[in-house]
Amino acid sequence: MVTKNYPDPKLNEKLRDRYYRRDQSNPEFTKETEKLAGSMAHMCYQCGTCTGGCPSAPRSTYRIREFMRRGVLGLEEEALTDPDLWLCTTCYSCTDRCPRDLAPTDVIMAMRNLAFRRDIIPVNFLKTVTAIYASGHGVPNNDVNRAAREKLGLTRDPPTTHMYPEYIKGIRKILDHYNLKENADRIIKEREG
Amino acid sequence: MTAEHKYAFYLGCIAPNRYPGSEAASIRTSKKLGIDLVPLEGASCCPAPGAFGSIDLNVWYAMAARNIVLAEQKGLDIALICNGCYKSIYEVNHKLKHNKELREGVNEVLKEIDMEFKGTIDVWHLGELLYDPEIVGVEKIRESIKVPLKGVKIAVHYGCHLLKPKKERHLGSTENPMWVEELVEALGAETVQYRNKMQCCGAGGGVRGYDLTHALDITNEKLTNMVEAGADAVVDLCPFCQLQFDRGQIEIEEKFGIKYDMPVFHYAELLGLAQGMNPSELALDLHAINTEPFLKKVL
Ligand code: SF4
Ligand code: SF4
Repeated sequence: MVTKNYPDPKLNEKLRDRYYRRDQSNPEFTKETEKLAGSMAHMCYQCGTCTGGCPSAPRSTYRIREFMRRGVLGLEEEALTDPDLWLCTTCYSCTDRCPRDLAPTDVIMAMRNLAFRRDIIPVNFLKTVTAIYASGHGVPNNDVNRAAREKLGLTRDPPTTHMYPEYIKGIRKILDHYNLKENADRIIKEREG
Repeated sequence: MTAEHKYAFYLGCIAPNRYPGSEAASIRTSKKLGIDLVPLEGASCCPAPGAFGSIDLNVWYAMAARNIVLAEQKGLDIALICNGCYKSIYEVNHKLKHNKELREGVNEVLKEIDMEFKGTIDVWHLGELLYDPEIVGVEKIRESIKVPLKGVKIAVHYGCHLLKPKKERHLGSTENPMWVEELVEALGAETVQYRNKMQCCGAGGGVRGYDLTHALDITNEKLTNMVEAGADAVVDLCPFCQLQFDRGQIEIEEKFGIKYDMPVFHYAELLGLAQGMNPSELALDLHAINTEPFLKKVL
């Protein structure tokens, strides 16, 4: 076999480090991602259409195409520990445009779900959970708004869980079924004390 | 006029708790157009698709299903006014109706609170009901106008989750739709076409909470493109996009030193104005960006 090399051995060494190594790959990661996403992500032919229209790409190092590749190659650590995983706005442009119909947005959501199972998640996501556990609302009412509602002829609190707090019990049961509040509290405490 | 079309009005969070004028305007303007929006008691956050979908899709399905079942119990289709809520409520309803395994999983959880998803209702965005000639239609909207919004140019922001992903929606083009422009023009206003019209507002997917500067940078690009096209105001169909454009302008000024003073309206508010509602009946003073200069132009 003919091996191509640069004359400079240091450069060869540097480039060798970019090679994909089998032991970094977890085929289960590919399978789980595909299952959660409902996508045949391994069909990705890396055309780059997804990244080309992604609003997050021009202003960061986030590349949806790269995450697709990581998915295919089973590069679990690389995918789940990259802070860029959380820069997808879920605008679904890539999903509408992918010529292979691989729903890259749903692939990202699947990877985020898998990251959460390992406690890898920014706290702002968890704070929405605790807000809903408390009041049923991710963005709850406040006094300025209550006064404004009254002036509009609306009820001070909207006819949601705010006006009917007896419904919050059911919401808590659902969240507790998944231990979500418990996990959210634990992780927030670990991060913020 | 008696209302012929009755819906359970699913409010979400941001409209009732930050921009209640949109809620009031939706109820009043719809009534004039033959749509009766009745309260959906005990509804919660949809829940936020970016946050919940990222954490655990199964919780997202179950929580959204609870809201849907409340409307099933009333025997009414849901109407709502937020693209984020549409993503959760419309999409989960659709998925549960068509995926037996998913439905059974969700119903096992709902059983704990004596509920069952049956799949008996449909979910609509008020915007699509207004556009649908069998429900309202552009003609009827035009006839309901008392104060045509003459002399202003409006940039339409469609938002993402009402139209995309296309294969799970039924609202046509996601590259260059024009139906919301038709709705705006029915109010007497002009609309403008601007660069990259279908780009996201930047807030979704939890990005506003995770990296505000990143989210605002996207918003800023959109605002620049709207200004370039000569827009006097932005109109959207989503209180979360509205918040991102409206409060976002204050944050953009703080972070990037750029000032736009571009008023941002939910379509329901604009329809209210055109039907002759007084600005004080729309709580426009809760907007971060002063709407007075715009109002002076049109009223
Ligand atoms: S657009 Fe689709 S096929 Fe092309 S790189 Fe992205 S995910 Fe792969
Ligand atoms: S859905 Fe996410 S990855 Fe796809 S284009 Fe939008 S921001 Fe980029």
